[in-house]
Amino acid sequence: MAPALLLVGGVYLYPIAATLVYSVATIDIGTYTIESFVGLDNFTRVISSSAFIPTLLRTLYFGLLVVLITLVPAMFIALLLNEQFRGRTFVRLVVLLPWAVPPVVGGVLWGQMFQSEFGFINRILGELGLPDDTIWLADPALALHSLAIAEAWRWIPFATLFLLAGLQTIPTNTYEAAQVDGAHARQRLWHITIPQLMPTIIPVIIFVFVWAMKTFDIIFVLTRGGPGGSTTTMNYWVYEQGFETFQFGTAAAIAWLLTLVTILVIGILVLINRLIFANKEVR
Amino acid sequence: MRATKQKQVAIYLAAIVTVVLMGFPLYGVVLTSLQPESVIRSPELSLIPTTLDFSHYASLFSDGHPVPLVSAIGNSVVVAMFSAFLGVALAVPASYALYRTSAPGRRLMMGALAAIYVFPTLLFIIPLYIMWVNLGVFDTRTGLIIPYTAFVLPVMIFILGTFVRSVPMEVEEAARIDGATTRMILTRIYLPLMKPGIFAVLILGFILSWVEFTTPLLFTSQLDIMTVSLALFRSSFDIQIGQLAAAAVVTAIPVVVVTVVFQRRIVGVLTGADR
Repeated sequence: MAPALLLVGGVYLYPIAATLVYSVATIDIGTYTIESFVGLDNFTRVISSSAFIPTLLRTLYFGLLVVLITLVPAMFIALLLNEQFRGRTFVRLVVLLPWAVPPVVGGVLWGQMFQSEFGFINRILGELGLPDDTIWLADPALALHSLAIAEAWRWIPFATLFLLAGLQTIPTNTYEAAQVDGAHARQRLWHITIPQLMPTIIPVIIFVFVWAMKTFDIIFVLTRGGPGGSTTTMNYWVYEQGFETFQFGTAAAIAWLLTLVTILVIGILVLINRLIFANKEVR
Repeated sequence: MRATKQKQVAIYLAAIVTVVLMGFPLYGVVLTSLQPESVIRSPELSLIPTTLDFSHYASLFSDGHPVPLVSAIGNSVVVAMFSAFLGVALAVPASYALYRTSAPGRRLMMGALAAIYVFPTLLFIIPLYIMWVNLGVFDTRTGLIIPYTAFVLPVMIFILGTFVRSVPMEVEEAARIDGATTRMILTRIYLPLMKPGIFAVLILGFILSWVEFTTPLLFTSQLDIMTVSLALFRSSFDIQIGQLAAAAVVTAIPVVVVTVVFQRRIVGVLTGADR
């Protein structure tokens, strides 16, 4: 127990405290020591910079986008895997695989998928007679959405497994009763499955949202925050400030702001969760 | 009967759509790695290969390749194994202490461990980077193993904790009455019962360390200490699409193989069915 505490303390608690100290300081790059304390200067500079609001909104939008592109297919796949059919194990394996793909491999792989000249996506669109010259990763309006697809592909396995585990806890006689009452498949999905699954869906949303806001690898490999800053999320901004311009104080301030935003997002989602359950009890 | 037939057709259609959408990117990269550069860059789309060409793999492993993939694989194996075993060695007693004893601050510790995954990774990396430079562990395997182990430790503790809790309290109490010490209880009772969990978290620790990218990117600069995911990234500066695809496949293979072989166990442990 003690060594584990020591490691966790050294690698987590110390950095959390140190980043907080750095956020009100400037760091000397020559000696890597604190140069001077500047109070809240780093925070005010970040918040008043013209990049702050767009970056914050971009981060939240990216999180929401990844949640949507992850959850909708994952729900569909979980419903599919909940049925008995031949080849189910194979389908489950194919769905699970992206989880095992290292993020950087995912980056390279989607880079080749989205590549405008030889990439598979444009090639296939071309074969179907659709426009085949879209520049997915270099178009400021499209790049963030392309990244969201690549990121969601990695989270679908996790989301599917949890939704599937949730589905298997719904008693089958609920469905049988609904069937007797003449409920259609779609009605059963909206009135039984999804409400019963809410205790699983909300945590999955929280996890995916938080992880999407922390995305680094895919952005770094595919777009490096570009074109024109259109894929710079707050987390990527931390990297740029810290390891491209070596402004560790500013980077620490942004990292803490991102943490606050993350906690706020979790708080709101937990509140929504509570409200849903409060409603249920009234009914 | 008609309804069930229709349902069957719908299920298989859905299964095909799922396999194509989820599996295509992987198929695409394997296909690209096995095609000559001229085919990859030709305007025709060929999804079913007519010839297989292994030359990208051969040149990847040839001597004097600008990106030392072989030594990077070696580094990754060493670092990932160390981190996985060290993580388990620390997680076993920690999970017992957190889930079975009444140690003070137990709940706080568990909350703190979960909260760690909420903080952005770079928040930890900035001070560690500064500390590593000052301590001289920058560009060493140790400088990677320490953060890797710490990053996998919380999830290991959570998974092992569910195994600890599944051991009936009466067993431990009976052993205590017979005069067993905590160490004996841990090694003779808990350890054997935790075996499937330990096995699962070892694999998990290895996978998570193998795929880690941000830490080696920022904590290493020398070619000879490079890990496999970093080597792959460095080879993306190469103009050869086929070679890059081959390097991606090589990087992914160990974790993909492990996932395929242990599919049932991983799913079981993650969804709580395996206890």
